[in-house]
Amino acid sequence: MSNTQKYKKAFIEGLGVDEKIITDKLKYNDIPEWDSIGHMTLMSNLEEAFSITIETDDIVDFGSFKKGMDILGKYKISF
Amino acid sequence: MDQDQILKDIKNFSKDVRKIILRMSFKAGSASAHVGGALSMTDIISVLFKYKMKNLNKDKERDRFILSKGHACLAYYSALHLIGKISNNELDTFEKDNSNLAGHPVKNPELGIDFSNGSLGMGLSLGIGLSISSKKKKENFNVYVVLGDGECNEGSVWEAAMSAPKFKLNNLNVIVDKNNFQQTGKNFDIMNLDNLSNKWKSFGWDVEEIDGHDIVKLKNYFDKKKDSEKPKLLVANTIKGKGFSFTENNNDWHHAIVTEKLYNEAMKEIK
Amino acid sequence: MEVNSRNIKLWSSIGPRAAFGLSALELVKKYSDLMVLTCDVSTSAGLDRFRKQYPDNYVDLGIAEQNMIGVAAGLASEKFKVITTTFAPFQVMRCCEQIKVNLGYMKEKITMVGLASGLVLGNFGYTHCCVEDIGILRSIPNIKIISPSDSLETIKAIEASLNDEESCYIRLTGGTNNPIINKDDYKFEIGKSIVLEKGEDILFISSGAILSECLKASNELRKKNINCSVVNMHTIKPIDDNIINKYSTKARLVVTVEEHNIIGGLGSAVSEVLSKKKNSPPLLVLGIRDEYSKSGSYKFLKEINRLTSEKIIEDVQKKINE
Repeated sequence: MSNTQKYKKAFIEGLGVDEKIITDKLKYNDIPEWDSIGHMTLMSNLEEAFSITIETDDIVDFGSFKKGMDILGKYKISF
Repeated sequence: MDQDQILKDIKNFSKDVRKIILRMSFKAGSASAHVGGALSMTDIISVLFKYKMKNLNKDKERDRFILSKGHACLAYYSALHLIGKISNNELDTFEKDNSNLAGHPVKNPELGIDFSNGSLGMGLSLGIGLSISSKKKKENFNVYVVLGDGECNEGSVWEAAMSAPKFKLNNLNVIVDKNNFQQTGKNFDIMNLDNLSNKWKSFGWDVEEIDGHDIVKLKNYFDKKKDSEKPKLLVANTIKGKGFSFTENNNDWHHAIVTEKLYNEAMKEIK
Repeated sequence: MEVNSRNIKLWSSIGPRAAFGLSALELVKKYSDLMVLTCDVSTSAGLDRFRKQYPDNYVDLGIAEQNMIGVAAGLASEKFKVITTTFAPFQVMRCCEQIKVNLGYMKEKITMVGLASGLVLGNFGYTHCCVEDIGILRSIPNIKIISPSDSLETIKAIEASLNDEESCYIRLTGGTNNPIINKDDYKFEIGKSIVLEKGEDILFISSGAILSECLKASNELRKKNINCSVVNMHTIKPIDDNIINKYSTKARLVVTVEEHNIIGGLGSAVSEVLSKKKNSPPLLVLGIRDEYSKSGSYKFLKEINRLTSEKIIEDVQKKINE
């Protein structure tokens, strides 16, 4: 599975939504599922998928699908 | 049923309640009793227990009664006796050691006492919980809560008052026994309630004010179909100690001892 | 909710309040007669999803705690399963008399969840901290008191309390990234404390998030050849006197550690057990020393109240060397 596919899968499973909801325009609080609890579940899924531990500041900054990809770059995940 | 007969029955019930209040107070002796506040609400509780409240001998769909002004329990115990829940023997144990009938109601479903009251300001919240439950379970029972006027000093009363309209509790009926006195004096002097009706109205209640000793007016009030979604509040203007010459409007009778002499005089008056 | 290492990690990261909110969502599917009552704290209790998805099971009484308890009691009297929640000081103290009359005296069965008890909201000052709740509630009959050590224990305690016949107060401590005490699934039973470590020299008894500092202290002391037992006394009332008696018999010192006043809380409860023993070892009660310090972060307050593992070790060693 490519990193992009892994990333998308983490969103789908973490937020519990349909694949078509996950677009690169998606932002935190855009959908009810991406609330603070959904966010932590998403972070947990990403950590597991990419075997990383995301720092607290990055968790807070992770405000959108797109931004998240930039942040994961810090952890040497390229898309 | 014949309306005159109904009124007669309620008046007789009320007379009996007064007799029992005095008898229990007398038997309590030096333990003394909250006579004044029980007598002021006697006609209210009589209309409720003898006439208005439904299914009192059932378990589920029965209307509920909460005596938030718990110190007036003599009226409550008397009414419960008259509908067959509390025996004469039990009444005689009032305020005695190990009794089920304390100076304030203690929860005892077998005797028809649903809740423990006495710490003022708590009964209305309980009533709200019951009313919400009735609607959720579609059990369609009504809830009646009697508050004292002095009791309305408590902030918790107003927390509850603010919340009931939010839940559209049109099955909740509150009666304020407005006898104008509290423990150490007149409401006006201790903590003026000012216009109580306006206060409740402004909180969103459907408010009326009537003479709390006029059985006809009380019956008509409870008979009226009230269409609004609002919870109902009746300000009942009453006389503390109503029913006996030596107790009426005499705040010494908030809590006092009924001697044998006084008891005998009282029984002559009420014939 | 499946208890696996991934969820345990997730629940720890979201903290006990959000874990409570998540568990409420699951519990209402199991118990359709569950009612959750709050005082304008849905988001603070992780109950925002619950509020939106189950509006018929949710009642917000606004900032009116006395009314909340009375309404809860009315519902409980009609056999609803009822949870009330707000921040711990308001949950326990603002409506204390209502708790006494409705839960204690009338035995209307309610689970009260006190949010952010202890020192975690220290930045807000002590009006929003709670170091008195255990002491106050212990003196009201018919109410169990539980202080879960981590988010998983919080979830277990809430469901256990719904199935208990008595009212229960559940004191949530710690915040997000709450240390994990229970790394795997385990059996949680109200009233049955859990022995996390065994050692003959010192008996640590603690509960709540601060238990993690005891475990750290125990680890360090072992390196100095001082072996400690560590007991998670999650249920403070009724206290597990069997375990206290068993593990204190050979100990040189019993140490209680709590995010609570040393007067009235876990330490007092343990002293009540030890005082009945013929030969009881000395007891060191660590906690808030009956004062309100200046405010600050959780970390800062733990330090100045001597509730970090380092300060605990210092105080224990001082006591041993007396």
